[in-house]
Amino acid sequence: MTARITIKGLNKSFATPVLKQLALQVAPGSIHGLVGENGAGKSTLINIICGLLAADSASLTLDGRAYHPTSRTDSLAEGLALASQELSLIETLSIEENILLSSFPQNAVSIDRRAVRQQAKVLMEIVGLRNIPPQTQLAHLSLAEKQLVELAKALSMPADRIKLLILDEPTSALTSSQADQVHKIIKQRAKSGLSVIYVSHRLDDVLCVCDTVSVLRDGVIQLTAASNSLTSNDLIREMSGEELLQHSGDEPRETGDLRLGIEQLSSADFPEPISLQCHAREIIGIAGLAGAGRSELLHAIYGLAADRQGRVVLNRSGANVLIDSANTAAKNGMALIAEDRKSQGIFSGKSISFNTTVAGLGKLSGNLGAIIPKREQRVSEELISRLKVKCEGTLQSIDRLSGGNQQKVLIARWLQSESDVWLLDEPTRGVDAGSKFAIHEQLRKLRDQGATMIIVSSELEELTALCDRILVLSNKKAVAIFKRGQWSKEKLLAAAFSEHKGERALAG
Amino acid sequence: MFGKLSLLFEEFLIFIALLLLMLFFGLMTENFFTLGTLRTISTQLPALTVVTIGMTLVLISGGIDLSVGSIVALSSGVIGIAFTVFELPLPVAAILGILAGGCAGLINGFLGSYLRLPVFIVTLGMLEAGRGMAYLVTDSQTVYIGASIQALSLPISGIGVSASFLISLGLVVLAQYVLTRTVYGRYLIAIGTNEQAAKISGIRTEPYLMWVLVMSGLLAGLGGLMNAAYLGASDPNAATGLELSAIAAAVIGGTSLMGGRGSIVGAFIGVLIISVLQNGLAQMGVSEPVKRLITGLVIILAVLIDRWRGRQV
Ligand SMILES: Nc1ncnc2c1ncn2[C@@H]1O[C@H](COP(=O)(O)OP(=O)(O)OP(=O)(O)O)[C@@H](O)[C@H]1O
Ligand SMILES: [Mg+2]
Repeated sequence: MTARITIKGLNKSFATPVLKQLALQVAPGSIHGLVGENGAGKSTLINIICGLLAADSASLTLDGRAYHPTSRTDSLAEGLALASQELSLIETLSIEENILLSSFPQNAVSIDRRAVRQQAKVLMEIVGLRNIPPQTQLAHLSLAEKQLVELAKALSMPADRIKLLILDEPTSALTSSQADQVHKIIKQRAKSGLSVIYVSHRLDDVLCVCDTVSVLRDGVIQLTAASNSLTSNDLIREMSGEELLQHSGDEPRETGDLRLGIEQLSSADFPEPISLQCHAREIIGIAGLAGAGRSELLHAIYGLAADRQGRVVLNRSGANVLIDSANTAAKNGMALIAEDRKSQGIFSGKSISFNTTVAGLGKLSGNLGAIIPKREQRVSEELISRLKVKCEGTLQSIDRLSGGNQQKVLIARWLQSESDVWLLDEPTRGVDAGSKFAIHEQLRKLRDQGATMIIVSSELEELTALCDRILVLSNKKAVAIFKRGQWSKEKLLAAAFSEHKGERALAG
Repeated sequence: MFGKLSLLFEEFLIFIALLLLMLFFGLMTENFFTLGTLRTISTQLPALTVVTIGMTLVLISGGIDLSVGSIVALSSGVIGIAFTVFELPLPVAAILGILAGGCAGLINGFLGSYLRLPVFIVTLGMLEAGRGMAYLVTDSQTVYIGASIQALSLPISGIGVSASFLISLGLVVLAQYVLTRTVYGRYLIAIGTNEQAAKISGIRTEPYLMWVLVMSGLLAGLGGLMNAAYLGASDPNAATGLELSAIAAAVIGGTSLMGGRGSIVGAFIGVLIISVLQNGLAQMGVSEPVKRLITGLVIILAVLIDRWRGRQV
């Protein structure tokens, strides 16, 4: 049987070589996992396959025929569907327009609005976007919803034309039940002959969804094997080239004094008032399904939400500070790492150094507010090496970094500001396993030095690994809070579903 | 590795363009490299330079200020009337004029940042309103001020350039320093690049967005003083369309209309390119329509080069 796509002798360098004589084959009807550390070159490879980037040299064949894409138009014509990591959506268009952007149904003179609505609805239903009107502007969606729109857009290609579906971290912002829905779709499509390339840092998902897995490191495929012969530890070892020390589970610990008092807090997007007391040396997790109001709650705490009621009081070395705006929050040592790094995190076109220091410039400047360049450089270099950001130097533009490395820069931004109350929304989204452990270690260290943290994560494993308490939200209400030792996956999920009555329950 | 270098390089590139342009006019005309040309350029230049500084800062913050030309006229009208009708001492009149510009900027800034109206529209309104006020203040007449104010724009003996020119040069250096080396400048760039991310990083965006427009208003007020000094009179029709020249100079100097990127030194070189072009072409005897045609093409060329270098314009 000829392979669906065969890649041979692929070379690509930016300033340094990224892919070297890479070879890869994907069989028809196979779901092929591709894993590797942040910056290994997975997205680069995908961009080359789709004609979005030119390789230095490569020989590609598609179903046995030579294939030389020079633009996305070429690869679309060949039946390559793509859901890209940094989403290819247009914020000012509606969901339906985004989904059908590359293939608008048309009648004699104009866009056939009725067909657009109808086709978009079907695709939204498939990916699990049921309760949102298709004419909603994209800018109003959460990151998870945008990710599902991106997937629907990839699937908009007619089933008889689509040959290869490429998914670059399609589930990084999704909850486990949403991810399961995605996995179900691709398994179904693969049965009818579609080939899939599936990139993810959620190694357990990769092992469970894919038939075959390839590991990319140092520019070449180190290993290709059937997924049922592998464990996630095997993958981690191949990805990093070394054995990883995993953190053994925490015991219940003593926490410190009251640090952050949240009293009857509510906002336009989180109407039910909530109270919560957070202590020094404590990590509180927030779990919940998509749309449970997790990010909305963090934004309300940080003073960003509209129509905010109630009080957030920060205890700072004995004095109480009322947090009423993002500015007072940041001034008083609170940090928010937002979920959507593209629109709320990175300063695009600016250097890594600019991006790491922007939240703590006060400390880097002398009198009259003049920034001291040496100090700025030293601080950003130190952070870049502490978080193992893969880059060419701190003056490189942040846009040139791989997605996971951009995320590390955002974490570095707040480490630099020396905050002591941290609100983290999906702090390790798109970060590889090794770096994830490194970030977790940093967070534990901060906690032991006295920091308070509230972490939202779609990965229950991340919460159970880090947190002292886990608050479960369901349908924008706080429904339960568990202490370390009291929780189990079943209990957490049951609580998360408790207020979503009447919606189809997908096991997590 | 590339951030700082490329910025330097970028200014270097347009600096070379300026030199080439000067060389071209030097070869094409008899007396381009004479003191006379230098004098003409250095007396005309300061008003446009200070206005361009303000414009560049506003553009970097992600906004635009269309009202600067009208503010120049308003400020110079206030100065003329304060000096001739109210018989105030000239320095007091000058300060009143600059403050009038600041007030207009304050209105722009308040509406644009705290009330969140689109800056483009607000300053478009001020473009009309400011011009109207300039006519009202001067009763639509040119007010003759006289030699006392012209001293500002006449070459200082021994130096060869005017006090206006030195002031504008000093402001270029100061503004470039503020932009590249201070927290204020860094925050302006951050806000212009991604306002939401700036907010989450703890930057209170409203005051910055307001002050940058106030600054632009004050600088346009100063431009009004320089303009009056150059003419020896306040003309309510002065500086019509100056906002477009300022935007053009900023863009030639590498400033992005999308916000987040720009350079004051670059914009100043942009001002020089525009004036050298105007004067050189005039000396070559090129007609006014052709002059405008060529100036327009140069602006587009500058943006094209920027795009070719892989930048968002
Ligand atoms: N336009 C560019 N210019 C220079 N270097 C680049 C550019 N794009 C990517 N790189 C570099 O190429 C390497 C591979 O990047 P790529 O985005 O393919 O990684 P990835 O495997 O997808 O990582 P992640 O898991 O974080 O998404 C990185 O080191 C990155 O810094
Ligand atoms: Mg990637």
